[in-house]
Amino acid sequence: MTAIKTLHILNKSPDNPRAAKCLEMVSEEDGLLLIGGGVLFLATGNLPGAAKVFALSPDVDARGLGKLKWSSASAVDFAEMVQLSLQAQRVVSW
Amino acid sequence: MSTLIMIDQPPYGAWTGREALDMAFSLAAFDQPASLLFTGAGVNWLRQAQEAGGIGQKSVEKNLSAAPIFGIEAIMADRSACSTYGLDENSLIEGVTLVDADAALLTNYDHTAFAG
Repeated sequence: MTAIKTLHILNKSPDNPRAAKCLEMVSEEDGLLLIGGGVLFLATGNLPGAAKVFALSPDVDARGLGKLKWSSASAVDFAEMVQLSLQAQRVVSW
Repeated sequence: MSTLIMIDQPPYGAWTGREALDMAFSLAAFDQPASLLFTGAGVNWLRQAQEAGGIGQKSVEKNLSAAPIFGIEAIMADRSACSTYGLDENSLIEGVTLVDADAALLTNYDHTAFAG
């Protein structure tokens, strides 16, 4: 997997003002990891097109979003989440 | 004295939503009419098939479906918030009434309080 420069980890739900600020800052070669309330972006669908987007599946299933088609993000489990944050050069926890 | 409890915070992120449910159930248990209104990210409490085992929590669906038995008068969800989060009749749990969470609605209740 191509190295991610900056991994943005977002656990805020879409109506939290900090979530909008995060999405503004995600650039093309960055990764965006949705956890906690952040996975609700799979329901609203307004995600940055270019960046590599991941979502933590236990959080996704908890919110009943497991059945959603995964066009906008790829599912990761806890171990893969750790891998992602190790690979990234920088991590921003929102 | 009728009470409306509004829940606008998403599920499983913090405990405020669950505390609001407990508050509503306690009101109902003391025969105080209580209703629930989910707005904003709070409507995500009402999606079907929530499997919260993976994050070590219990799904709220069971408590919500038991609400009428506990005497909760109505479980309402704001229409525009539901469309924002892609919720409709076949993804919402049963017993939810779609409403417009506006000032007019609030006039039906003596006391309205938010969770958290």
